[in-house]
Amino acid sequence: MAEKTEKQQEREIHRTSQDVVNLLSVVLRTAQIHDSSNVAVTTAIDKFLALINYLISIEDGISLSLVGEFFYLNEIRIRYSLEYLLNFDFLIREFKKREIGKVFFKQPLKPEDMQIFLKGFIAAGFSDSPYEVINEVLSETERIEIDRLKKISEGGTVDTRKVIKKSYYNAVSFTKGVINKIRAGEKVNLKKAKRIVETMVDQILEEEKLLLGMTVIKDYDEYTYHHSVNVSILSIALGQRMGLNKRMLTELGLVALFHDIGKIEIPEEILNKPTNFTDDEWKLIKMHPLWGVKAILKLRGLDNITIKSAIVAFEHHLNYDLSGYPKVTKYHELDFYSRIVSVVDQYDAMTSSRVYSRIPLAPDKALSIMMERAGTQIDPLLFKFFINMVGVFPIGTLVMLDTKEMGLVYESDVVFADRPRVLIIINRNGERVNGPVVNLTEKDDTGKYLRTIVKTLDPNKYRINLAEYLL
Amino acid sequence: MVILCMEIAEEIKEARDILQVILKAKKLLRMYPPNNPIYTKTLEESFLKFKQFLDYKDNFTINIRQNSILYDDEPIYSSNEKEDNLALFFFKDGLRQLTFKKGLPSDELEEFLKILAYDFEHEAFDEDIVTLLWEKDFQYIQYIVDEAFLIDEEEENYEVVAEKKVKEQVTDVNDLVRAYFEGFQEEEHKGIAIVPLTDKDLKMLVEEIERDSSEKIGKLISILFEIIYQTVGKTDIEDIFAFLRDSVKYCAEHGDLAMILEILSKAEQTIKDPVIGEREKKYLTMLNQYIGSDEIISLFAELFDSGVDIDEGLFNNIALYFDKNAIEPLIKYLGELKTIRARKIIIDSLVSLGKKDIHSIAKGLNDERWYVVRNIIYILRKIADKRAIEYLLKTIRHPDVRVKKEVIKTLGELGGREVIQSLRECLDDPDMQVRIAAVKAFGNIATEPAKKILLDKISEKSFKDKQFEEKKDFFETISRWKDEDVFNFLVKIMQTRSFFNRGKLFESKACAAYALGLTGNKDAIIVLEKFKDSGNKLLRDYSNIALRKLING
Repeated sequence: MAEKTEKQQEREIHRTSQDVVNLLSVVLRTAQIHDSSNVAVTTAIDKFLALINYLISIEDGISLSLVGEFFYLNEIRIRYSLEYLLNFDFLIREFKKREIGKVFFKQPLKPEDMQIFLKGFIAAGFSDSPYEVINEVLSETERIEIDRLKKISEGGTVDTRKVIKKSYYNAVSFTKGVINKIRAGEKVNLKKAKRIVETMVDQILEEEKLLLGMTVIKDYDEYTYHHSVNVSILSIALGQRMGLNKRMLTELGLVALFHDIGKIEIPEEILNKPTNFTDDEWKLIKMHPLWGVKAILKLRGLDNITIKSAIVAFEHHLNYDLSGYPKVTKYHELDFYSRIVSVVDQYDAMTSSRVYSRIPLAPDKALSIMMERAGTQIDPLLFKFFINMVGVFPIGTLVMLDTKEMGLVYESDVVFADRPRVLIIINRNGERVNGPVVNLTEKDDTGKYLRTIVKTLDPNKYRINLAEYLL
Repeated sequence: MVILCMEIAEEIKEARDILQVILKAKKLLRMYPPNNPIYTKTLEESFLKFKQFLDYKDNFTINIRQNSILYDDEPIYSSNEKEDNLALFFFKDGLRQLTFKKGLPSDELEEFLKILAYDFEHEAFDEDIVTLLWEKDFQYIQYIVDEAFLIDEEEENYEVVAEKKVKEQVTDVNDLVRAYFEGFQEEEHKGIAIVPLTDKDLKMLVEEIERDSSEKIGKLISILFEIIYQTVGKTDIEDIFAFLRDSVKYCAEHGDLAMILEILSKAEQTIKDPVIGEREKKYLTMLNQYIGSDEIISLFAELFDSGVDIDEGLFNNIALYFDKNAIEPLIKYLGELKTIRARKIIIDSLVSLGKKDIHSIAKGLNDERWYVVRNIIYILRKIADKRAIEYLLKTIRHPDVRVKKEVIKTLGELGGREVIQSLRECLDDPDMQVRIAAVKAFGNIATEPAKKILLDKISEKSFKDKQFEEKKDFFETISRWKDEDVFNFLVKIMQTRSFFNRGKLFESKACAAYALGLTGNKDAIIVLEKFKDSGNKLLRDYSNIALRKLING
């Protein structure tokens, strides 16, 4: 048999790593339902042992670590897999609950070792000191060890935040340049657009929360450019959640970036009009999907990207049930990318101050409205993925905590949708402060959460500039 | 110290050598296909150079300047040229540093070198080097990129200005405090329920993604037709027409005949729609001209010749939409096609198209390439329109025998009084193949004058001097008439006696015997019986063949 290429080996490693997470997840899930001696549990253990013992024999020990929202198998980051998405999320949640940062399988395991692990794992789930409980139980075997979950240090993120901010503004200014060029009838460099989007894809894969945080920056005067970039970022992030590969994410990011390009045909005095639109003006606004198709197809010859971009430009206001605009005569359904862009476009538009609605909605209010639209205006399945991505309190939500502190949602949590990280802007004494950033998953010694959101407030009502805090 | 300096010098030399193999590979990998020994050898040499270096060092890192490449701050490559400048080649796309790590596998190096070998200058090439490196996701080759060049000069300070603007809009502390205190009066957060994702959701998503992976051009075409219903001005329909043309071209380039048919069929339906204006109809009608243009026909020709499996039925249906302007390019590419299959497809479409405009097809008779002329004659024969005779008669003197034979055959099939004289002249052509073709053509015409011409020809004195093969064709042809004239004529030849030139006479008799057998007239049996034991082998054999035919049927 021919030797495997490096690429094949690499794929195999990733596949095996995903299998470890998946099989361990199955063991733990099954053990939470059945008694540990049940055949379903023992079968799951046998499958897990077959794989892990093979790996231990090759690698001289295997460690499964949780860092941030990602698992690592002996230092190699395990790629998110759509196939195992739920099991990944489950295991992250269960590790976090028990404050486990690393499980080290030191020597080939026997079924008894796994039974001990399960005993500790389940007991820890009911304890206020979960890590201590499981650690104590594990003293019964020498073959499995655990480490406590480490908090990600704040220091390292400062520079990263700067890099992300730069990329974000690069994307916005590039978009502005593209739009101006198209207006002037000049040629647009698609290679550059790809590079911009590739950077965003990388950052979504590595620093998703930081880049998503940037989408909260809304500039009324530069709305179109910010909105285009925000829709691109949110689409990439949603695509990533759905397991799309890098190439598809770039494609999605590009088509999303150009979704509103038809607006270049709308006179600026209408777009920036301070009063409500007349019927005729609305008619013009509703032409922008058609003009988008024309603008894109005029950019260059037909190819995969222009075709997909034109489709999304045409369909992004058409609605899931085709009730939107432009009106169509013989049409079947929206494209997959159009449905993604449609969801994130609505969300970003609703949460921005823009032409159609001068006063933006708070993110959680926007989600409530979108929930009502799921199944009619927007794809219910994609919305479900979206809401699971942004969480109950999306970044930028102004919240009141049970500690009488007021803060701004800074980062969402993949596992605990209602327990994001919050930047405190008013302390419990009613004084303006700038931080700290608190993690709402943190508990006190009795296992009670230290902070919980009790109310959400409308920042626009009080003219609170969210971007001031998030930049 | 001296040893250290020598080591460094050696390292720099090795780094230079690596640069040279990169340059060489960049050139050769573009020139030769992967199965070529030069390609393989270049790769092997390159890999060896890298391996030798990385056996002793953990990394090979080069820093890229506009016109030079540095290793360990030492220039190992420099050029001020605008073309063929490796430093500039990397630099212009923002690449500033490249690192090759220990363990670099050969297939990763090959992928890297293949990227360098791309024709980046080609207009249709849409990627830059960084994008290609990014897509490959190399494990042992890392790079550092400067993204600054992505931003236009006038937008350089965009971030600073935008951030300053945001920071200037500082929230008033009073507003903030008011929000805080009024916040206590707000209703408690009810929350929106987040339903966790389930296996069923994932399954549905996978299905959606799979369903969506198909070609998108069809969707775009539907959109363009939707837009036709919403066009408001002349430029709009002009634009849409241009996009439809682009779509047709795109489909032709991708061999998507079904989609081209879809476009044409949609255009046809739309034209019939009473709500569609005359201007729109005019443009849609022009699509039929476009599919028959040189630009599109050349793409079809390329597709047919490529050996790709295509549905001929689809093309035949497309050909129904061709208008007569398609004839000229079809004929042009008919002469350039390399495969029989491709020519057959084009010929079939010319046959159906020629029925609308025989004059344009006939223009192909003037083509300089004899094989094209022969194909055109074949096409005219298949069209079977007597109007073609006028053009064919002008071609009957074509210098190429193959063409002449095809014309004669076609004239024979088309028939008519006007062809007789030209065919008769062909019976005296110096080339036997032409004469035989003319004889068969008369047989196809099958009229009394045609019969008479053949009988007269056989009766000529010089006929006996013809080769046996030609004689046999004459007799075989006249046997088609099966009438009394022919029967008596044949019997008479059978009964002819001669003292001189008996060998030639036996040939004629043998042919007559054979022809009598073909007439099916059983009265010939008595005549033939007399020759079944003839001393002349030829006459004996053909008489027996004829007898068997007549007796056994």
